[in-house]
Amino acid sequence: MIDRQLFKLAGASAIMRKLAVIEILQAFFIIGQALALSAVLTGLWKGHALNWLLLLLFIVCFALRQLINTIRDAILNKYSGKIAEDLREKLLTKVFNEGQALVQKQGTGSLITMALDGVDEVRQYVKLIYSKVLTMMIVPIIVFICMLCLNCLSAVILLLMYPLIVLFMIILGHAAQDKAIKQFGRFQVLSNNFIDSLRGIDTLKYLGLSKRYSKSIYRLSENFRKKTMAVLKVAMLSTFALDFFTTLSIAIIAVFLGFDLMNGKINLFPALGILILAPDFFLPIRDFAGDFHATLNGKNAFKRINELIAAPKEPVKKIALTDWSANDELIINDLRFNYLKGAEIGPINFKIKGYQKIGIIGMSGSGKSTLINLISGFLTPSQADIEIEGHKTNTMNIPDWQRQLIYIPQQPYVFSKSLRENIAFYHPEATDQEILQAIHVMGLDDLLNDLPKGLDTVIGQGKRALSGGQAQRIALARAFLDPKRKVMIFDEPTAHLDIETEIDLKTKMLPLMQKRLVFFATHRLHWLKEMDYILVMNHGQLVGQGTFADLQANNSYFIDLIHGMRGESNDQ
Amino acid sequence: MINRIPILKALKNDRWVRPFLKRYKKTLILAIFLGILTFFCGGGLMFCAGYLISRSAARPENILLVYVPIVLTRAFGVFRPAVRYVERLVSHNWVFRMTSKFRQQLYDSLERDATNFNSKYQLGDILGLLSDDVSHIQNLYLRSIFPMMVAWGLYAIIVIGLGWLSPLMGLWMLVVFGLIIFAIPIWSVLVNGARQTYEKQMQDKLYADLTDNVMGVNDWVLSGRGSAFLKLHVKDQQELFEVDQVMKKFERWRDYTFQLVYLLAIVSLIIWGMFRFGQRDTYYTNWIAAFALALFPTVSAFAGLPAAAQETNIYKDSLNRLNNLPGPEVENKKAITLKAPYEIDLKDVHYTYPKTDKEILHGLNLTIKNGEKLAILGRSGAGKSTLASLLRGDRTPDSGSITLNGISTDQFGDQIANYFSIINQNPYLFNTTIGNNLRLGNEDATDDQLWDVLRRVGLDQMVEKLPQGLETEVDEAGLRFSGGERHRLALARILLKDTPIVLLDEPTVGLDPITEQAVIDTFMTQLKGKTLIWITHHLQGIDQMDQVIFLEDGKIYMQGSPKELWQTEQRYRELKRADQGL
Repeated sequence: MIDRQLFKLAGASAIMRKLAVIEILQAFFIIGQALALSAVLTGLWKGHALNWLLLLLFIVCFALRQLINTIRDAILNKYSGKIAEDLREKLLTKVFNEGQALVQKQGTGSLITMALDGVDEVRQYVKLIYSKVLTMMIVPIIVFICMLCLNCLSAVILLLMYPLIVLFMIILGHAAQDKAIKQFGRFQVLSNNFIDSLRGIDTLKYLGLSKRYSKSIYRLSENFRKKTMAVLKVAMLSTFALDFFTTLSIAIIAVFLGFDLMNGKINLFPALGILILAPDFFLPIRDFAGDFHATLNGKNAFKRINELIAAPKEPVKKIALTDWSANDELIINDLRFNYLKGAEIGPINFKIKGYQKIGIIGMSGSGKSTLINLISGFLTPSQADIEIEGHKTNTMNIPDWQRQLIYIPQQPYVFSKSLRENIAFYHPEATDQEILQAIHVMGLDDLLNDLPKGLDTVIGQGKRALSGGQAQRIALARAFLDPKRKVMIFDEPTAHLDIETEIDLKTKMLPLMQKRLVFFATHRLHWLKEMDYILVMNHGQLVGQGTFADLQANNSYFIDLIHGMRGESNDQ
Repeated sequence: MINRIPILKALKNDRWVRPFLKRYKKTLILAIFLGILTFFCGGGLMFCAGYLISRSAARPENILLVYVPIVLTRAFGVFRPAVRYVERLVSHNWVFRMTSKFRQQLYDSLERDATNFNSKYQLGDILGLLSDDVSHIQNLYLRSIFPMMVAWGLYAIIVIGLGWLSPLMGLWMLVVFGLIIFAIPIWSVLVNGARQTYEKQMQDKLYADLTDNVMGVNDWVLSGRGSAFLKLHVKDQQELFEVDQVMKKFERWRDYTFQLVYLLAIVSLIIWGMFRFGQRDTYYTNWIAAFALALFPTVSAFAGLPAAAQETNIYKDSLNRLNNLPGPEVENKKAITLKAPYEIDLKDVHYTYPKTDKEILHGLNLTIKNGEKLAILGRSGAGKSTLASLLRGDRTPDSGSITLNGISTDQFGDQIANYFSIINQNPYLFNTTIGNNLRLGNEDATDDQLWDVLRRVGLDQMVEKLPQGLETEVDEAGLRFSGGERHRLALARILLKDTPIVLLDEPTVGLDPITEQAVIDTFMTQLKGKTLIWITHHLQGIDQMDQVIFLEDGKIYMQGSPKELWQTEQRYRELKRADQGL
């Protein structure tokens, strides 16, 4: 019921002790409240005047019982909040230290859900599980002992109900669970279906079907309702069973007590006492059952977050590298990488020296991006024999290497921050003058003029989406501001741009590549002529390397590739 | 003061809650009745049990004298869980039923402007929000509106019942339960509602913030500033946590106050019992315990009200968002039937997006003849996509005209789909079988026809290899259509639709040149004879077109056949050379 991990949490045993004391106190207040009330009522029944002292006792016990609940809630709230925030911090530290590799493995959406909703569920779980379990372990026992003293038989009858309730809940719970799991699948299908048809609503409209589809949305939803109701009929039976046995046992006890009273075996005071205590005897298990599902989610989230935090780190090589200079060498030998699906990249061997521009060409899926990610250290090779600036290493995940990288993907990420912060991202100390210069050089003046608050205007997805060309220019402006970073890595930077923007951008990019080591993955042919050296990828293999002229003269795959890429090239 | 409750403001001009409550009135009333009955049975059980015990304690000679309370005790004991079970089924059924209609209404609202969502990001955001809104409104019904109505019913019973026995007590209960039902929930909304709203906003902000930064995680890692962001985020989280603590603290003391007011109700019932029945024969005093005990089980009908009221502050945004959607469109366009040849004519077309002041197109003139193949090029923002939606009649030019065989394209409404087909950048495949996806083009298509179009787009062999062929779900695990294949499927759908005009809106962006060329070749051969309008971002495959126009700043600045342009335009030659890497 309780996760073992929970006991490992800081302060777990202290909180358990505190809670145990609180629960014991609570049980005594429950008893005090019940006995005082039945004493008051018995007195009144006998025709006596109201015993104000006893009534006051009832009021005090009632108020104290609620007060102690309030205090328990406060303690647990603070504790569970602290646990949750610690967990969140650990998780996020992991994410922002490991970067892309982890994000790709987990998926952006799932990571964020875990860090926000997941952690909140854990908080709820920690809060509920301690109090509910302890209440269930302590309160009914003390209440039972009290009832035993009042009237043996009734207490035993009520006790016998307990296992019966648990048994029925388990049986019905299982039956419902199977159905509910299936139905949950259906629910996913339906809500996906609904979102699906909303997402495709323009396609439906283009096909002239959108109006008719409205009815089918209703029909689907109604179908789903009918099926869900069928499941609920079963699922709610477990609550019904719980309800049924508790209320019925109270009714039975009342009748039993009635007979005993008539036969003079018992007095009114203990009889009333038992009747008042009976609902409180069952309350803990009802509460627990009610929150059971909420705790399940939290339990799963807790497990998953802990697993993620404990997952092994991507290996890092801490080598002291200097800024890349004209004489530095990078020698890659026998570089391999295995995808989860089993496909393999490599072995790849090449050697570069100084400020070269390396083009990487190949069709989609040939392994260009993977090679780029291996070189930048975002992925860890399954095998590699690398020598960089004379140091041996088996991964490029080297902090000193990444410190000098400028990485520009197909769609550079534009943060929902001001234009200034976006451009100065790598160089936050840049002055406005430097930033304006970068904007000017990269041809972003028009954008700047369009922004109502100039440099302070917040851009990015939610606010003001930029075109692909503008995002590229921002990435280039970042690079322009940071001349100390000597290695540039491009992954298809212009593939999705229109030809005119592409040519315009090319004139901005080329000067940035001066005096830098450049890796440039592309399938746009005009870039190749700018490259000093070209790596040709096909199906994960490096099938050729050399200068453009070399390859054109000697490499048949390269020649075919170029030919194919030009389409039916008419030799005008 | 009441005006300060946000949900009430949101409900004023509402199309999403009140009409639905009215529409399903009968089930709602039944559910409320059952809800009240549940608590009535609960109270009844304790009432009868209390009376039974008291009566038995007086040692009646004959068991028959307590027969009625015995039967009633048992009856209430059985009825309470049964009624509760039925009530939960009825109320859930009620909500699901409304949700069905609700979804339909939401769909109809969106359908109206379906083609004018600007960017896919925005669309995704809107959809995520809207589907959350559906569940929020469900919660509003089930967790706020329904329990409130049950509590009101119970309130009425308690006040009227006791008022009938003694009017003064009825009045007193009117006040005490009035505190419970109105004062505490309203107090809660007013004090904590703002906090709850703030918390929700903070949460949304954190969500957006974290998404933003996780998506840009590479830049954080490379810039070496990851820990700086983390510090900031943790600080925000901490702030949120503190707000939450303040809110929770209020809730705890509010709930404590609630319990004390309830205690007041119980104690006043005991004291009233003493005055009404006390210090007399047991015939009278038997009732004291009955009344005092009956109140205990009803507490749960009221305990959730303050929280439920406070929660409505979260739902307010959902409700406002939904109410701001346009109402469904009432389309009464004239029936239009056109015959070949089809000719499109643009005369001096000007267009500015609503609520902006930058004119996108200024003075466009163009004729597209039947069967012509036209390519439209231009930078992003030059107005290519705007032109596409104008051509299809989804938007109306500010001045000038766009006509198909002399009739303005915006006059067609949905009938335009009989003449125009579109394939855009991300052809949408619905989450159903391949066959069903294709049949969207023609619902009556036979399997033979489906295979025929699949063959024409070059996918027949691939689909044949799938174990379930046409019946394979497009999203099933392991089966992922590559970019090129998606476009081919979209083309197959269009071929089934068989419209005379096809508009391709940058369909090959992001494909590698070899795949791209193959897709273009298929498009060109299969759409032979149709009028083809192809918006493209570079010059791959351009030589197969009859006419090419370049848009810049909302105007045509180059126009002609590819051959003419190559011969006469220096700029065209440069672009073409660059594209080919010559």
